[in-house]
Amino acid sequence: MGTIWKRFTALFSKRRLETELDEEVAIHLEMLTEQMRQQGMGVRAAREAARREFGGIDPMKEAYRDHRGIPRIEILAKDVRYAIRGLRRSPAFTIAAVLSLALGIGANTAIFSFLDTLMLRTLPVERPEQLLSLYRTGGWGSGYASYPQYLEFRRHAELFNGVLARSGAYKVRFDAGHNNQADFVEREFVSGNYFDVLGVKPALGRLFTDADNRTPQGHPIAILSYDFWRSRFGLDPGVLGKVLMVDEQPLTVVGVAAAGFHGVEVESRTDVWASAMMFRGAIMEPGMHWVWILARRRPEISKSRIQAAASIIMRQHLASVYGDKPDSAFRRWAMEQRMEVRDGGLGISMLREEFGKPLTVLMAAVGLVLLIACANVANLLLARGAARRREIALRLSLGATRRRIVSQWLIDSLLLALLGSILGLLFAVWGERYMLLFLPPRLGDSFSVAPSAAVLCFTACISIVSAVVFGLAPALRATALDPAICLKGGASQTAGVRFSLRKALVIAQVAFSVVLVVMAGLLAHSLAGLRSINPGFTHQNVMTFALDYPRAWKDADKDRFRDGMLARVASLPGIASFSCGALAPYQGGIWSAGIRVPGSARTAREGVEVAMQGVGPGYFTTLGSRPLRGREFDESDMRATRKMALVNEAFVSEFFPGLTDPVGRALSFDDSKPEGGEPTYIVGLVRDILHKGLKTPAEPTVYVPFHQGQVGFDPTLLVRAQLPPDALLSMIRRELHRLDPEVALIEPRTIRQRVDDSIFVDRMIATLSGFFGGLALLLAAVGIYGVMACGVAQRTAELGLRIALGADPARIARMVLRDGLLLMAAGIAIGLPLSMAAGRISSTLLYGIRPGDPLAFIVTVAVLLVIGTVSAFVPARRAASIEPVDALRHE
Amino acid sequence: MSTGSSKADVLQGTLDLMVLRTLESMGPQHGFGLARRIQQISGGILDLNQGTLYPALLRLEQRGWIASRWGASDKNRRARFYELTPAGRKQITQETDDWARTVALMERFLRVAE
Repeated sequence: MGTIWKRFTALFSKRRLETELDEEVAIHLEMLTEQMRQQGMGVRAAREAARREFGGIDPMKEAYRDHRGIPRIEILAKDVRYAIRGLRRSPAFTIAAVLSLALGIGANTAIFSFLDTLMLRTLPVERPEQLLSLYRTGGWGSGYASYPQYLEFRRHAELFNGVLARSGAYKVRFDAGHNNQADFVEREFVSGNYFDVLGVKPALGRLFTDADNRTPQGHPIAILSYDFWRSRFGLDPGVLGKVLMVDEQPLTVVGVAAAGFHGVEVESRTDVWASAMMFRGAIMEPGMHWVWILARRRPEISKSRIQAAASIIMRQHLASVYGDKPDSAFRRWAMEQRMEVRDGGLGISMLREEFGKPLTVLMAAVGLVLLIACANVANLLLARGAARRREIALRLSLGATRRRIVSQWLIDSLLLALLGSILGLLFAVWGERYMLLFLPPRLGDSFSVAPSAAVLCFTACISIVSAVVFGLAPALRATALDPAICLKGGASQTAGVRFSLRKALVIAQVAFSVVLVVMAGLLAHSLAGLRSINPGFTHQNVMTFALDYPRAWKDADKDRFRDGMLARVASLPGIASFSCGALAPYQGGIWSAGIRVPGSARTAREGVEVAMQGVGPGYFTTLGSRPLRGREFDESDMRATRKMALVNEAFVSEFFPGLTDPVGRALSFDDSKPEGGEPTYIVGLVRDILHKGLKTPAEPTVYVPFHQGQVGFDPTLLVRAQLPPDALLSMIRRELHRLDPEVALIEPRTIRQRVDDSIFVDRMIATLSGFFGGLALLLAAVGIYGVMACGVAQRTAELGLRIALGADPARIARMVLRDGLLLMAAGIAIGLPLSMAAGRISSTLLYGIRPGDPLAFIVTVAVLLVIGTVSAFVPARRAASIEPVDALRHE
Repeated sequence: MSTGSSKADVLQGTLDLMVLRTLESMGPQHGFGLARRIQQISGGILDLNQGTLYPALLRLEQRGWIASRWGASDKNRRARFYELTPAGRKQITQETDDWARTVALMERFLRVAE
């Protein structure tokens, strides 16, 4: 080991060691000469005798050097210097190659970085592979479960080594003591055993135990995340015992969780943990689904056994809670709940559900882009090899081994890959920033743009692999020649063989491009289909936002403030219309009610659940959706005692099939009797608005006059103006601040943005695959052009001779063009079946079209043929314009 | 260069032990002194180019068996002196044993052959 170290250090002190050796040899010779002189020789004879006695100095030094450093590294360094010089000598080649690689590597790094965060990175907890996520499905949303359900699962120690519950992490008001301005943190409620089950240790103080989660509102303590402790308190240990106002609850800090732990949800980063018993709401209410259950399975019990057991536990629990409910529709709805056992080691993520598959498809797409880029670089290297054949032949005949030259070429390739990956990382950072723009607010928070160690490792790996992929074949090709023939002067022999490899590469490029372009076409067509869906209203620039009031405010205070606020907004210049509603438009699926509709066969036997919305006066006018029949609510309806409702088209076709005007009919929210109880009269019919997002068909929906406290949410305010959204928003903020600086504005989004958010995955993958498809086309075009141009250059003499003998230049041009198009056609022929397969694999990403969508395929073929013609056209023209004299002189 | 490698290897092993033994008996030496001493002891049987010594010295130093430093010779000239390290001393014992075993073994064969 010491030997290696000494040799290694010798690499860096070469010059000093060399002079020392020289000095030592000189001294030795001097002493030897002296000895000879003492034996009676003359000066000259003594010196010669000494030389003889010492032996050859240079061979000795050579042997000495071999032992001193590490020859392989010294040769490597020499090769690297040689390669750098070579690349600098041909800048056009270097730029083309590095750029191709950088685009390929950058795209891969960017997509992989997302994939890593969302699907590969395990939680920083103990034995993450044992963690399970209990995912509730069926009635009332998905994922989150009720606290009684949690307690039920917790009892089963024969299955689990611990079961924890946690609420979502939500932004809430925060005040560390002095300043009054609205500040927010992400707060998460957790069961007492949360940290214990996960195996997360404290960085400071202590973490929760079950004793901290016994009595409702009885545990005013908090745990901070390490990052929050660092950013807000500068890692000050004095934070322990401090009282923080979190969501206007005074909580005493008792500890800080270990560094790197941000909770179990991938797309949020918790700042403050509070005890579940501090949740302000009906904690034990069986219909209140506010906790996500995670469990650590016993190592000896398999996931499938746990799933079987969980289904039984869930069914028994539901039967005990809902079994004796008289209302059959409600009972059936409730009993439809299931508990799905999923792996929890990667953390829980709603985004993963939606985005996981598209990301995998994108990863495959960028893999193809990289292959195309590699083919491009291989092609460039082959062309370069052809140009350097004489040099290589000379070196081979001077005794260089083939292995040595091949390894030198690979160093060239590695160097290109290194440059490409450095530039590629830059591209990746830009790319990720751009990709984040597609994500709805908050979801992007957990994706960091700076590459992680895993991402860097991935990039390094793909760079090295691609260097070998694109470098090896050209290197072997370039050195497989007979120096004798080559040096004798023929420039064009063996070109045929090499040329077929280049053609094969171009065909592969075209085939892969076809796949990418077809995918882009399919996704773009699918997105266009989504875009063409009628959302049920015309005004997309309506600004929507919610208000966050101080905790102490009663419903009446909020009503007063909201009315005042809307009146102020109404008086602003340029405001066209305003209203409010709960839930917000495009926030559906949370509030439902069971109804009976007298006279409808649909509810004759039992009640039916319908979606509910509370709306203020002018709601539909603001959105630009005039009622189809009757009218919408006005100011007086808000306080009317007579019960009124609006229904949508889906409601009519569900409950009054064939009826055009439901106005005057009634429905009842008392669904215990077939004919219902107190009637609610339908006063208007409105268009279907797709509250669950563009992809989900409208559900039968009942709109009722909005009043504060109707649902668990504060209403969303809607304002339409003849102003750009940003200007409108800053005006609203100003008014709000003037009225009461303590009230905060939450999630301001235009309706257009909300619609976009609902299809962000489709927008993102359509845009990105369009970009990758374009990139692939560009690279393929460069490939075809390169091969054709090179072919024409190599055949200059032959073509010149033909023209001299009277061949029609136009026919020559056509011939070259035809060769180019043949390559294209071969690529397309291979690519089309591949695209069919790719389309079928990713059919779940397509909306409204089939994987074999003819439009995408026809457009792809047309685009590729045009590109093929264009890129072969220039070489073809050059071929036609060859001057016979020049060509022959060239030979 | 590579043709005589097997012969050189044999020589190499013996040369290493010769250098180590010489340093053990004479104490710190410079390259010239070592070469002269080795030639004296070998009584002219060994036809050694003195320069061959230097790669061997480098190898021994890299293995940690000898150490070197620059100092002044008896005639107050600058020279590089080599001396044995404790590891080198251990190495001598081991190599001496090896040699003794090899010689004993060879002797047996030679006697049988007679």
